[in-house]
Amino acid sequence: MRVSVSNLTFGYDYRTVLKDISFVLKSGDFLAVIGNNGSGKSTLIKCILGINKITPNRIRLDDVDVVDYKNYKNIGYVPQKFDDFNYEFPITVNEILQVSKYTDFTEDQKLELLDKVGILELQHENINNLSGGQLQRVFIARSLMNDPKLLILDEPTVGVDRENVEGFYKTINELNKEGITIMLITHNIHESKANFTHVLSLHNGEAVFREVSGGDE
Amino acid sequence: MLLINESFFFALFEYSFLKYALLTGLIMGFVTPIIGSFVVIRRLSFIADTLSHFSLAGLSIGLFLINIMGFTFISDPLYLAMIFSVIGALFIEILRGYYQNYKEISMPIVMSLGTALSALFISLSGGFNSSIYNYLFGSILTVGDEYLIFIAITTAIVLGLLFIFYKEMVMISFDETYAKLLGIKIARFQFVSTIILAVIVSLSIATVGVLLVSSLMIIPVAAAMKVGKSFKNTIIIAIMFSETSIIGGLWLSYELDIASGATIVLLNLLILVLVGLFRRFYVRKRLKQTQLDIQGK
Repeated sequence: MRVSVSNLTFGYDYRTVLKDISFVLKSGDFLAVIGNNGSGKSTLIKCILGINKITPNRIRLDDVDVVDYKNYKNIGYVPQKFDDFNYEFPITVNEILQVSKYTDFTEDQKLELLDKVGILELQHENINNLSGGQLQRVFIARSLMNDPKLLILDEPTVGVDRENVEGFYKTINELNKEGITIMLITHNIHESKANFTHVLSLHNGEAVFREVSGGDE
Repeated sequence: MLLINESFFFALFEYSFLKYALLTGLIMGFVTPIIGSFVVIRRLSFIADTLSHFSLAGLSIGLFLINIMGFTFISDPLYLAMIFSVIGALFIEILRGYYQNYKEISMPIVMSLGTALSALFISLSGGFNSSIYNYLFGSILTVGDEYLIFIAITTAIVLGLLFIFYKEMVMISFDETYAKLLGIKIARFQFVSTIILAVIVSLSIATVGVLLVSSLMIIPVAAAMKVGKSFKNTIIIAIMFSETSIIGGLWLSYELDIASGATIVLLNLLILVLVGLFRRFYVRKRLKQTQLDIQGK
């Protein structure tokens, strides 16, 4: 999916969080969004996801204005932590994926996906019994249930141990190779072994967008 | 089981009021834990209580209209309870939008209005009497065939809606943000599910009464979620717990001549305690076994 952001300014009440941001991603690009806490990383993501209401003609997804965008099933999203998810009530990995399915994603495709993400054997497990790293994979699998063309990950490796982080980036790089456009918010760009093609660094709401030479940072 | 003298089961064939009571109980015992599960997941347990208190306003206004004003167009105040429950639900939704960050404020406001209106119309209808007592603590034995059919049809509609929108309901309940991303119309679903809840709350009043409605909805779910392995499995267990306490409660209340609503709720609580003990025992035993296994290696 092509993502183009042009002169986006956004704020909450009197505070401007994003100042005149512009960048373009082509299909298959892999963008790292970096910046300190409060620099506007998550705000930018929320604008692209249509959660933050913005003015027209600022963000276009495959040439459709985000304001009019309806096809959100084309976008996979892995949130930072999973605070929005209601835990404690029993639900299995399979059940979560089942209710997240809104395209004709087949059972075989689902099993293939679980295998790729490395949680095939956990499909009947209650999510309350999973570790942070395993849970991470469940939410990545969920974000891929509808064959997204754009995958957005918000600091997905916070609280995940080193070994799992490496496995995670391997999976993400593979997905990117399949042509999915990826936007990854990260604190530590050097820790991640991702094959970024572009970097957007945010500082006090202002952005510097650059291409990464050689495809690796 | 020592108490069994089979009279309850013989009486079931003999008296239609017992048959109606059992059927009403079985229907409500099936549908309330299903609705209750969604209520528990969304941390809205207080809504059921609020709505049942608001329904009481409808009941007392109904009693006032029938007994004092002599209106005959309403055969049973329970129908007014449903209308009021839905009105209460609408109030809650409006107030929740008004106090975006303090959504729970809506509950005490609506509950106070309901309770105040109830007190007012109870006093206008000549004070506390046996019908009010029945509405407060349940009167499943007084359910007639007409209301039973009403309960059956309404429940069938509610279950049909749940079946059709199962995916959306589960998604919204567990993860509202993600549901929004998938393009699910959250506000619309929330509105419909609050109305459904209001309807089920008002129907439960006949079974256990205004004061005990939320326990019928919440306690079996609270017990089941401690032993359930999946979402569906938890709901099935909750239904089993709920039906057990309803059948057991009706039987005990008949045999011992005690209040049925109270017996049903107390049995529900007993199951909750037993599940808690079972878990404690089972989890400890498993931990001990794991420890032994590790030491053995």
